[in-house]
Amino acid sequence: MIGVSLPEELTPATLGEAADVMRERAARGASVTFVGGGTDLGYGNPPERIDTLLKTEKLTSIIEYRASDQVVTVEGGLTLAALQRRLKTKKQRLALDPPRPDSATIGGLLSTNGYGPLRTRFGTLRDLIVGISIVRADGTLARGGGKVVKNVAGFDLPKLMVGSLGTLGLIATATFRLHPLPERREWHVLTARSLQEVRTLCRALVDRRLEPSSVVALDATPAAASAPQSRETYSVYVLFEGFAASVEAQGARLAVAARDLLGADARRIEARDKIDVATLDEEARVFGDVRLRVSTPPAFLPGLDREVLAPLRSAYQKSRTVLYPTVGAAFIGGIPANIVRFVTALNQARAAAESAGGNLVVLECSDLFVREQVDVFGAIPDSFPIMRRLKERFDPQRRLSPGRFVGGL
Amino acid sequence: MILRLTPAAEAEGELAAIVGVENCIVDPSELRVYECDGLTGTRVRPLAVVLPASTEEVAAVVKIARSYNLPIVPRGAGTGLSGGALPVDNGIVVGLSRMNRILEIDFENLRMRLQPGVINLDVTKAIAAHGYYYAPDPSSQSVCSIGGNIAENSGGAHCLKYGFTTNHVTGATVVTSDGDVVQIGSPCADGVGYDLMAALVGSEGLVGIVTEAVVRILRTPEKTCTLFATFPSTDEAGDCVSGIVAAGIVPAAIEMMDRLAIEAIVKSTHVDWPLDVGAALLVDVDGPAAEAEHTASRAIEIARTSGALEVRTPRDERERELMWKGRKGAFAAMGRISPNYYVQDGVIPRSEIAVVLREIAELCAREGFRVANVFHAGDGNLHPLVLYDGRIPGQAHHAEKVAAEILRICLRHGGSITGEHGVGADKAAYMGEAFSEHDLETMNSVRCAFDPHATFNPGKVFPTPRLCGDRPGVYVPHQSELSQQAARG
Repeated sequence: MIGVSLPEELTPATLGEAADVMRERAARGASVTFVGGGTDLGYGNPPERIDTLLKTEKLTSIIEYRASDQVVTVEGGLTLAALQRRLKTKKQRLALDPPRPDSATIGGLLSTNGYGPLRTRFGTLRDLIVGISIVRADGTLARGGGKVVKNVAGFDLPKLMVGSLGTLGLIATATFRLHPLPERREWHVLTARSLQEVRTLCRALVDRRLEPSSVVALDATPAAASAPQSRETYSVYVLFEGFAASVEAQGARLAVAARDLLGADARRIEARDKIDVATLDEEARVFGDVRLRVSTPPAFLPGLDREVLAPLRSAYQKSRTVLYPTVGAAFIGGIPANIVRFVTALNQARAAAESAGGNLVVLECSDLFVREQVDVFGAIPDSFPIMRRLKERFDPQRRLSPGRFVGGL
Repeated sequence: MILRLTPAAEAEGELAAIVGVENCIVDPSELRVYECDGLTGTRVRPLAVVLPASTEEVAAVVKIARSYNLPIVPRGAGTGLSGGALPVDNGIVVGLSRMNRILEIDFENLRMRLQPGVINLDVTKAIAAHGYYYAPDPSSQSVCSIGGNIAENSGGAHCLKYGFTTNHVTGATVVTSDGDVVQIGSPCADGVGYDLMAALVGSEGLVGIVTEAVVRILRTPEKTCTLFATFPSTDEAGDCVSGIVAAGIVPAAIEMMDRLAIEAIVKSTHVDWPLDVGAALLVDVDGPAAEAEHTASRAIEIARTSGALEVRTPRDERERELMWKGRKGAFAAMGRISPNYYVQDGVIPRSEIAVVLREIAELCAREGFRVANVFHAGDGNLHPLVLYDGRIPGQAHHAEKVAAEILRICLRHGGSITGEHGVGADKAAYMGEAFSEHDLETMNSVRCAFDPHATFNPGKVFPTPRLCGDRPGVYVPHQSELSQQAARG
């Protein structure tokens, strides 16, 4: 394009170099956007200005791994898959399984608060991070937390950075608590005829004191495609992990609950079935031109179906939905049929989610018309003045992906 | 004749008009109760203690205090061990003890809405009959309040598996230093915007006053198995902890007690624990029955191979409760073996427990003090109790210096100065040893985003007094940044 200068791309090889870049850009007043694996670059508002793209792809060191303490410190550019490979050698893992682990980096996952099915049991990165170091907008290095799992010294900078979309500073290093790799993992699958049934099952898991690591509901899967199904039918995948005896016992009890309550047949997925739930989840979550994340209270699940997902589905010509029903999170993506109608449906869905105390966030939108018509984040939170002051304190010149975050922060 | 009141007296009058005269304490003898928290060695008399009954009253109180430029110290139950609720000279204390109602129990969404003065244990008591509980369980749980827990990000024995207060509080109503009432956090899994709850929990009363909180509740595990094992020394007990963890077990709790701690507990609670052992572990594993039973039998094997002298399992729930009562009453039990004690809260990597305990023992022996250890071994959170006699001139001060040296040992081993008690007034001086000036300035940026006036709890957490700049909401660059900008020219 004429008259538009492309941002310069820099790939510092060390944290020192990254700090130098930040200091130098601060002196010039240049804006900086951080890039990890590039898996969620479309998330957030487009920054108003990008003078420099700082890519973390060379910042991939595992700085310290103390397996006996179940703690690891890594640089922000390391991919999750590379980290997991190293941890596996000591039969440990970071209890996080977001889509695209081969490209998603630790810094990127922290910035976007990426997660996957294991959230059911282990929460998000905010529940796993124990320490952080950031390069601030002016190039100074600041640390928070530490290298031990339990620590209340000072403000919790590590958790504060989770989900901040690169608008507060560059995530240089992060320290996580780790979990042992389970002796046994078993996925089970069953069919639920509605989200009401999914909700009934989730309630039963709590009531019967089962402790699944994941509960995922998918509305359209290769496995289910062969069976004639109504649109609202869900394949529910339940993962049990732990010692063999416990995993087997819980699987059997799930089958009883499914039969008693839903008249459904819960089947253990054998390795030879070649169904990889993580891949199904990933495929569904990256499907389509316009991808949304809806968050509502778990008990709202039937309402989520009726008031939020139904209008959206009818406005997509083709869509897929993934739900984490115990968490109350849903991802829906697809190709809008008629963009004007789609915008109306989105606004209607968002209003329903917000009136239930939740929210609807646009994760990705390649349709420029839709992007212009809808806000990425929806209603501005009550605490926005505090958020604005936080941004002002961390980035007083407004140079770190300006405008990308909530309310134009 | 016009009677002129001092500004302080005027403020007192206005505060009393909000909360009622009976809830605005200004009488010096009544104020004495509020001169300190659980850190009883340091005392400051506040100008007044105000006990509001609602969010609106808290907001009105904050506005009045601000208009008179009075610093505000929020206070829960006053059980904190780091002086977090220590009053500020010429400041007011806002006590939340009257706001102690459970507002909502939502079993469907597994959450409860609480006022800050609700006692920690009362949360679980309200839902236990339905088979639910609130996980964070500080040893003071029968007296400490949820608001205080939020301020301190309280832990407890069962945080190893279930996390700390910060993992269990999802939303809060907060009164800011402008007297505004703000909702923080989200009723849903994923909020929108910065994770302000992360900054709020553990902020030690420096960012605002929580007047309502939403907490997660959990289903009571199907089965909990407890075991109590004794060892010749803390070395073997430490090996056992490492062994259990290396076996892929995530216990609900692993607590260690050394010989002196066992002696104190036996004397005060009459548990029938042997006195001729070097250390003991109290371990809980829980989960679905098959999981708990399997991990318990593995843990027992590991205790034996680690050199346990004896492994016991409680015969019934009553005996189990007694064991835990013994552990949770350990600090109070110290009175049986020493007139006074100074407790530390340092954290170390779990694998270094044995080494660090030896270093602490050597330090205390060298300085002429006995030290008892009773702590959360699973997450390396030590609680060395330096025993001293306050009647002997200089001993208290000496004990404090030894305790400070213990924190430096923890830092040298890559640990932290506090795992759950907070920095407060007590450990503020050591923050500069744990963090750089840039780190502290960054933390102060967070605090100032909430409280640009630095009204709340000044003098706590940070080693030197810090301001937020003279105009609220407008960024004023820090000195070091100005000099850097100048250098860049």
